[in-house]
Amino acid sequence: MVNLSLYSVQAVLILDNEGKRIYTKYYYPPHEPKEDSICSNVKKQKEFETSLFKRTHKQDASILVYEDHLVLYEECSDVSLYLIGSLQENEIVLHDTLNAIRLAIKLVLNTDIDKRDIQENYDIVCLVVDETIDDGIILETDPQTIASRVTKLPTKDVSVSIDLSEKGLLSAWGFAKSKLAEKLQQGL
Amino acid sequence: MSTHTYKKFEESNAGGLPDKMTVYQDCLNEFNESPVSPKKCRLLLSRLLKLLSHGDTFPPNEATALFFSISKLFQHPNNSLRQVVYLAIKELCMISEDVLMATSSIMKDVQNGSDLVKPNAIRSLTRVLDESTAFSAERLFKSAVVSKDPSISSAALVSSYHLLPIAESTVRRYANEMQETVSDLKTHQHTGSSTEYYRGSSYMSQYHALGLLCKLKSHDKVAMMKLVQQFSSGNILREQLAQIQLVRLVHELLVMDNQLIPEFVPLLSNWVSSGRQSVQLETCKLISALAIHMPTDLFDSMIRTLQMMLAVPHVSFRFAAVRLLNKISMSAPEKIVICNPELESLINDSNRNISTYAITTLLKTGTSKNISSLINTITKFIHDVSDDFKVIIIDCIRTLSLKFPGEWKNLLSFLIDTLKSADGGFQFKNSIAEALFDLIHYVPESKEQALEHLCDFIEDCEFSEILVRILHLLGKEGPNTSKPSLFVRHNYNRVVLDNSIIRSAAVSALSKFALTKGDPTLGPSIEILLKGIEIDHDDEVRDRATIALKLINTSKTDPIVAEEFIKPTYGYDLYALESKLAQYLHENPDGFTSPFDASTIPKYTEDEIKAIELKERQQKMLAATEGTSVNNSSLAGDSSAPKATQDSLIETSDDETLSLKYAEQINAIEEFSSFGTIINSSKPVSLTEPEAEFTVFGVKHLFEDHVVLQFNITNTLKDVGLENVVVVCNTEADSNEIEEEFTIPVDRLLPHEVASCYVSFKRPNKTATYGFFNTINFTTLELDPATNAPFEGDEGFQDEYEIDTLYLQAGDHIKPYFVGNFSAVLDELPYEQVAVYNLKQSNSSLQDLVNKLVVSTNCLPLENSQFVSSETNSHTLKLFGKKVFTDDRVALVVGMIKSKKGTALKVQCKCDDESFCVDLANELIL
Repeated sequence: MVNLSLYSVQAVLILDNEGKRIYTKYYYPPHEPKEDSICSNVKKQKEFETSLFKRTHKQDASILVYEDHLVLYEECSDVSLYLIGSLQENEIVLHDTLNAIRLAIKLVLNTDIDKRDIQENYDIVCLVVDETIDDGIILETDPQTIASRVTKLPTKDVSVSIDLSEKGLLSAWGFAKSKLAEKLQQGL
Repeated sequence: MSTHTYKKFEESNAGGLPDKMTVYQDCLNEFNESPVSPKKCRLLLSRLLKLLSHGDTFPPNEATALFFSISKLFQHPNNSLRQVVYLAIKELCMISEDVLMATSSIMKDVQNGSDLVKPNAIRSLTRVLDESTAFSAERLFKSAVVSKDPSISSAALVSSYHLLPIAESTVRRYANEMQETVSDLKTHQHTGSSTEYYRGSSYMSQYHALGLLCKLKSHDKVAMMKLVQQFSSGNILREQLAQIQLVRLVHELLVMDNQLIPEFVPLLSNWVSSGRQSVQLETCKLISALAIHMPTDLFDSMIRTLQMMLAVPHVSFRFAAVRLLNKISMSAPEKIVICNPELESLINDSNRNISTYAITTLLKTGTSKNISSLINTITKFIHDVSDDFKVIIIDCIRTLSLKFPGEWKNLLSFLIDTLKSADGGFQFKNSIAEALFDLIHYVPESKEQALEHLCDFIEDCEFSEILVRILHLLGKEGPNTSKPSLFVRHNYNRVVLDNSIIRSAAVSALSKFALTKGDPTLGPSIEILLKGIEIDHDDEVRDRATIALKLINTSKTDPIVAEEFIKPTYGYDLYALESKLAQYLHENPDGFTSPFDASTIPKYTEDEIKAIELKERQQKMLAATEGTSVNNSSLAGDSSAPKATQDSLIETSDDETLSLKYAEQINAIEEFSSFGTIINSSKPVSLTEPEAEFTVFGVKHLFEDHVVLQFNITNTLKDVGLENVVVVCNTEADSNEIEEEFTIPVDRLLPHEVASCYVSFKRPNKTATYGFFNTINFTTLELDPATNAPFEGDEGFQDEYEIDTLYLQAGDHIKPYFVGNFSAVLDELPYEQVAVYNLKQSNSSLQDLVNKLVVSTNCLPLENSQFVSSETNSHTLKLFGKKVFTDDRVALVVGMIKSKKGTALKVQCKCDDESFCVDLANELIL
């Protein structure tokens, strides 16, 4: 049947180079009864992940049909990102979505993705995925926009002084600029 | 916290999984502190998220405690903390109780929060709402939908979408706002303060609004048409996902009513050549799914688009295109021949999935001319792919052997080479063996060569299962070959060299050679061999040898009995046998003193079994869309075959079980007990419109002296019951040859029930066509909806209902049969009758006509002639069957040409029986 539903992504997985979980999120509509699918219980999920990893690791395939799912993946250094959708889904849309997640994480962390970075900035990875996909519905596919919506760790516990210091810096710079202009003019 | 402990905190965060109880305790402590430290809290939440993501879960009471302590963090205004808080709330909502308590805090944020966290707040709000509280969020959602910020608007739309199952009426109230959102192009405001990234101008909210509208109007054809008209014009939809959604909407519309297609052709051809590949892809999917209704030029431009996509550097694009082409190749292989150069270059693609798809597609588009070159390519390719892919390719080759029986030499040598090559697991070897078995079964010319190669193979085969199967085949086919002694030698080698399982299989096979007709010297030698085996140390082997010897000895005095055992000419229907045996064990009426009665189980001769298997195989070829794809995934879900053929498939595939079911029903009826067993049952024929109040299917059963018409009547009405349902059959005026005997009415037919009414006739001697004009007479009763029983005292009123005519045709006297070389048999048959038909005003395709003929003649289509390529206007259908009662062979060649005026048919019917031949040919189409 025609797939008019907005629920197009079934899961996002990040596995390490041994096929173990780093980040996993299986999606199902929040207000509908759970169906018996890959997301139904943790044991099944883990089995699915292990066998999927075996099929994909070092295969350089990046897209395949696996157990009635369309799977797109990308291996970046020591982690693999997976995006799982239904067979009817538009491959290019899923491709764009996976790309968006990868680039947005890269943008926010300002490095290439690796296992350590993901572990250390787990909150940011969670937020990126959450801003890209909301329970299976693709929210956004532009990495810049996604990155712009993700907040970083608060820099200081007390955030009162920021305004002041910014102003202070600005005025200091403005002062320096005017002084320099003066000097230059004098020099001329 | 001192610097020292702080460092430890960071380290543990970077490493493996944090301890569940520690996280739980830390969370409770930290979140309840005042004032809270946003950084520490965010780190803690991050660890909590990690735990949950790894599949750890908390018991409900702990989860609830966590949920409440997290909701305390709402008092802190920091945005980056707030975002993660919402994330945690979303996760915990599923496992904790009383989540409604957080509603008011979240709502406050939706109203007054900063633009950054508003979308997060909105999306969390859906999770805490339930049926009873959803309405309270209406105003919030409504104003958020029309918000200038696209993220807020999107969040509200997506959340409304989630809420649909529990609060559709609430969501419907702001449908107008959604319409606005689709056409209103929102751009991100660059305030500069909140972010360092430049936001692309994204119109995602269009997609979400359109998706929501589609869902709300999914049953209203007119409203859907309106949506398409409104948004397809101009340049309203900027977002590619929204455009895709629109394509899907059109798809849905066209599936509902394919009369609309001409109207949408310009739009579709516009999309198929649009600049966005995702939209192109989606349109191609649409066109291929409705291929039978599409104009040719649109179909061709779709193929061209896909062809272009094959050359794109992105893997996903190529994959999508080749997957779709593979699907199309099932129904219209000749159309995609133009893509062959691209497909051939994809054989060496680094993505093995793509190369396998490419190969299988090429194999399907292959003609008898390029088969051999293709097989050469595959021979090179097959060694460096994994077993999974090999199995798929072999399956493809297997279907090829059915399609091009003339190419058996190439296919055979390829199969044998791959079989003998050292690498490959059991599954792979088994699939090759299966393919070879098929070849031997259906292409008799290949038999001897294939058997010889198999003999070579079993000399060093490491899989006992395959060995046993091959031995069985040798036993079955070997004695009829020109030099059976060769096979005896190979067989006996197994007895000497292998384990007991193989030995016993070899003994059984050996015994069959004893009765070889062609070489009388073999018999005594086999006896000597078997006598030698009688001293084997394995029980089973010894037993088999002894029995075989005994039977061979009796065969000298009573050849028929022995032959029955050694070379049975028929097999039981295994499904029926299984169910009967299970029933016998279950019921156990008298402690197993009465023996199991096998006489009711249908028996099939070898040719019949072949016919059944071939039929299944042919159906599989049609249905196997994803089946032959990169995965051995189940066939469900992704079938691309046009729906109409799918439906007919389901009907026919259940054919055997269906006729068994009918036989059981009829056997249970007393009146029919004297009739004996059913000789032949026809397929059910629909006698009403599918949407009629009462739908009726007619089935014709032939008995030795009787014909029974079975009418399956379904009452589709909700509150009306029927009583005394009788089908009145009036035969055509001149037929006094056919005499009605009795009718078995249906006593009561309640709503949504199916019941069968039977009418019995004396079987006419002739095989001419008889029409039965049918009317159903019944008494209608209104039912009390509460009890589903008729109102008391309601006598109802008499009514009648006319249904279509049911014809008893010559075809009902035919059973489908398989024959290896059709043309030879055709020449052999003595009587011939040729008839010509002109069908006017026929809108149906040739494929429909072929399907109809296969059903009405009840013959087996041979040489793959049941598939009409969608391009041509002419087709030749070859049918074969045997007449029941007399076993006269029937062969039909139907040539058909379609033109604008209609379809012309030329039927050549050849048969062993002259009058039957005339009847069949002249009354093929009514």
